[in-house]
Amino acid sequence: MATAVGTLDGHEAVAARYHDVDPVYAETRDLRLTGFILFLLSDCVLFSSFIFAYVYLRTSAPAWPPFVGGHQLPWFDTSFAAFNSIVLFGSGVTMHFALENWKHLNKRKFNLWLIATIILGLGFLLGQAHEYSVVGISWAGSTMGASFFTLTGMHGFHVFVGVCYLTILGIQANRGVYTGSKYFGLTAGTLYWHFVDVVWVALFFLFYLW
Amino acid sequence: MHAGTGTTHDAHDVHDHIHPAPEGFIRKYVFSLDHKVIGFQYFFTGVFLLLIAGSFAELVRLQLTKPEGAIMSHNAYNEMFTMHGTAMVWMVLIPLVTGAIGNFVMPLQIGARDVAFPWLNMASFWILPVAALILFSSMLFGGPHAGWTEYPPISLADGTAGALWCMAIFVIGISSTMTGLNFMVTVMKMRAPGMTWTRMPLFVWATFATALMNMIATVALSAAVGALFLAHVFNVPFFDAARGGSPVLFEHMFWFYSHPAVYIFIIPAFGVISEVLPTFARKPIFGYKMIAFSSMAISILAFTVWAHHMFPSGLAPWLQLPFMILTYAIGIPTGIKVFSWMATLWGGRIHYTTAMLYAMGFLITFTFGGITGIFLASVPVDLHMHGTYFVVGHFHYVVAGGAVMGFLAAIPYWYPKATGRLMSERIGQLSFWLFFWGLNGTFLPMHWLGLEGMPRRYASYIDFAKANPDAQFWNQFETVASFLMVASFALLVFNLLWSIKHGKIAGINPWGARTLEWTISSPPPYYNFKKLPHVYGRPYDFDQPLPYANTDNELDQYPEYGKVLMPIPTPAPVGAGA
Amino acid sequence: MAQTQSPNPKVVRVKGLGRGFWPVTALLTVLSLACAWYFLFGSIDWIMPGASQPVADRASDVDGLFKFMAVFGTAILIYVAGYVIYFGIEFRARPTDPPDLVGVPIHDSPKLELWWTILPTLLLAALTALSINVWYKIQFGVGAPALTMEVVGHQFYFEYRYPGLKTSVFSKTEPMHLPAGVPVRILITSADVIHQFWVPEIRLKQAAVPGLVQNLNYTPLRPGTYDIACSEYCGSDHSLMQGQLIIEPVAAFNKWLDNKEKAAATAGGTVNLANGSAAAGKATYSQKCAACHSDPPAPFDQKLVGPGLLHITDDPAHPALVTGKPPTPANIADILQNGFTGPIGTMPNRQANALSDKDVADLVAYLVSLK
Repeated sequence: MATAVGTLDGHEAVAARYHDVDPVYAETRDLRLTGFILFLLSDCVLFSSFIFAYVYLRTSAPAWPPFVGGHQLPWFDTSFAAFNSIVLFGSGVTMHFALENWKHLNKRKFNLWLIATIILGLGFLLGQAHEYSVVGISWAGSTMGASFFTLTGMHGFHVFVGVCYLTILGIQANRGVYTGSKYFGLTAGTLYWHFVDVVWVALFFLFYLW
Repeated sequence: MHAGTGTTHDAHDVHDHIHPAPEGFIRKYVFSLDHKVIGFQYFFTGVFLLLIAGSFAELVRLQLTKPEGAIMSHNAYNEMFTMHGTAMVWMVLIPLVTGAIGNFVMPLQIGARDVAFPWLNMASFWILPVAALILFSSMLFGGPHAGWTEYPPISLADGTAGALWCMAIFVIGISSTMTGLNFMVTVMKMRAPGMTWTRMPLFVWATFATALMNMIATVALSAAVGALFLAHVFNVPFFDAARGGSPVLFEHMFWFYSHPAVYIFIIPAFGVISEVLPTFARKPIFGYKMIAFSSMAISILAFTVWAHHMFPSGLAPWLQLPFMILTYAIGIPTGIKVFSWMATLWGGRIHYTTAMLYAMGFLITFTFGGITGIFLASVPVDLHMHGTYFVVGHFHYVVAGGAVMGFLAAIPYWYPKATGRLMSERIGQLSFWLFFWGLNGTFLPMHWLGLEGMPRRYASYIDFAKANPDAQFWNQFETVASFLMVASFALLVFNLLWSIKHGKIAGINPWGARTLEWTISSPPPYYNFKKLPHVYGRPYDFDQPLPYANTDNELDQYPEYGKVLMPIPTPAPVGAGA
Repeated sequence: MAQTQSPNPKVVRVKGLGRGFWPVTALLTVLSLACAWYFLFGSIDWIMPGASQPVADRASDVDGLFKFMAVFGTAILIYVAGYVIYFGIEFRARPTDPPDLVGVPIHDSPKLELWWTILPTLLLAALTALSINVWYKIQFGVGAPALTMEVVGHQFYFEYRYPGLKTSVFSKTEPMHLPAGVPVRILITSADVIHQFWVPEIRLKQAAVPGLVQNLNYTPLRPGTYDIACSEYCGSDHSLMQGQLIIEPVAAFNKWLDNKEKAAATAGGTVNLANGSAAAGKATYSQKCAACHSDPPAPFDQKLVGPGLLHITDDPAHPALVTGKPPTPANIADILQNGFTGPIGTMPNRQANALSDKDVADLVAYLVSLK
């Protein structure tokens, strides 16, 4: 049947890429991966829109930090945020190792690295809570507060969702939902977690370095 | 589970998998995963909301029969045009052209058994009634008043109603984004064997171009209304000039989505026209590659022209130029399409079905709307026309005379496939003429009223009527003409219901069309295709045999228009995974 | 189930481009030319008010663009609609057609497609050039304006501020005046929500946006009375936000302005600078000036909306006031009373700022006390 038709797009090519995998699963994984990447792309647009708003407001302001009630608002403290960033980036590294260990069927190490990721993620969130309490500006008081809290808040929400997602993945993995060759959920979780890291690179630059 | 060695390509790839039939009323008709049922659900919901939003428009038209305002207070009027616009854009047009037509037709046209993520599809639909409820509930709190664009600072006066408006738009945005993502993956990954990109039907190209815009642009809208919501509820000053914010910022964020949104309305309609014209002219679509390419070009250029909605509004002067030039530029792929469609008619053998009438009417009314768009693209001329009835006339020509016409062509064209029966041609043709003349009568005078000086969103126009004695006459003329459109929609609803019982049996291919949906029974079985067809060529060569092999049914190689066959008995499903 | 296979379906034969193609084309061309003639030489005043006797120089520029687009736009529409109707008639299916008759199987024509891409592109390029020319004149004006004034949008009226006039003119009670024959610059802003200031005969409109100052530049030409309308939804009474514009010869305009100044001078009290209290001025400053000028006062360059006022009397980098006059108490009082409009921005007059005579004196005393 295959030969009678000539070039059959897609299906054989996809199956060929996963030569050691059940071709039915190969197609499913391909669909899901494409869908998940497109989802992350759309999430990029969400952050980009608010980043546009921040850049617009900051570049059109007569002074930055802006004056509120006659006083100029303080700059952010870069050193604590830098430390918190290392925590988050570290969790990206641990997640990478978690996935690698899973691929090499090393369940125990996978669990350790995954738990490390979750702990570091929670640590980052605690750090953000601390930052919010010391930063000295309010959400509604100025455009600086508006952009800062909205963007980092959205990011923090994404981190929180990510922590929940990783926890669920951990439970699922230990229940045997994933195998050595079928673990798309873990791939998606890792991609999402790296995405959250990349967004933070942008936000750290925009608020703390610029 | 391991496949073992190599790529023995047999019937076991995922696209050949037929899942067991859904059982039970809830699974079959309420929380269905079948794209065809979901298409129906979008259709009913969208048409229902169309009737409501349309009634609001009629109230608007009745108000304007007198310069001092005939039937309601200014506040009530402002609420009416706001709800009309908001509901039409987000709860009617986008769900109908993408969710209803796109969902039903596109997977059939690519030879797929469903979309890539059926569960996501179902969730996307169910968000629509929720969003509509939130939107209409805002009317219990006084309703939004500032137009479908709800610019701050004035929209902040809407209070709770404004916050609910933001919530409703945010929620429906999730649905659109998910549908866009779903359709993109479906077209990219699930086409039948042999269907290369350049063998896809043009409606599929249109769906893909639309899905791209849907997926990317809608998120920007969520950001805009999300920020507006934060302003309403938490007083966050993105748009408050007194605290360093900027109302113009909202316009940027809003229009970055809302311009692609108008292309989201129209490109599926372009796709429908590209299907209907060849079928009823019995000849290939002219310029397939250019039409496909221009859909993608428009889809991308759509993201670069948004600020032409903001020419008088506070843009830095130097910014006006690139947006003007790009807006002119986007007229070129659009013009190419119109000329190609005209060339499709040339040398054909035209059968005047209802769908064909709507398609040909589209060519005239959409072109008119496109031309007035060029006027608005020029910054100096736009400084005169912005915010006047000229704009209202322009966008109703492209939306009602474009997107809605395309939708109205799609209905009689695919209704036989969806239900197995033809709609009444007599009623359909009468509907068309009422709609066509009603549309022109309602929206043409708006152009000169606007140029003469009648601004939009005016609940009364006393001063304008003093300066222009024929103002009341034209407004009344428009109101009377609008009732022709009401009659047309009433007939449409009647036709839809009547034909279920009394329409002629359609058979698998009453139009003699050549795309894949016309190779399976009407209505199709839940799994669409028992065997995945193999595709060798484009579907528009009416003088050539059908370019398919391995089809479920034995087919006429040269399908003829109007040859209604008895329905073919639906083959029994193959069973799970076989 | 009957399946008639027609191995060679009959194809329509078309002579040339169709039987009536050239006569129809000729007819459409005549129609297009007639419309073109109408737009170029006929009276289009009914759709473009004041087209035959321009009310402002930029209005005739805009009309020129409009006519260019109307000529080509109607031609395109006529050809598209005309051909669709003609093809619809000429190439309709006849009852006598064999059932398998198909249309001419043509897929493309590279030459035709090239032309119908190039010609519209050239047309749009020409339109771009013409548009840019007019755009430049509107945005930047031609030469220095003889009069610069401000329009402020409110819910639901316009406020007009003239240079040197302590009081504003309100659209609810009086018309706006402009001098004919000299270039004017109108600065437009809003006190509350977004409005739009539009005189249809002058064509150009700009949004009145809170926090922004936009400008319009043109030379009014034809004396007369014209309507002003707000064309951006601004609230419940948006449709009642109207005004009138009177364009009059320069002499008449100056006379009107003089009368207004005299009326403003005799109305209300006078400012007695000697009675000013710096302490009271400090409080007034925080209340009425801090929205636009830094509080506490900051150096000139620390601009909020307006410049910093810390060294208003002794800044070596800025020895004169923004009006160009030396920083004496009287000159500072003048700015407070009359407002100021210039490249640096626009400051409202005392009426807009709700400053009483005492306020003005106190503020002058306070500002002079800053060193």
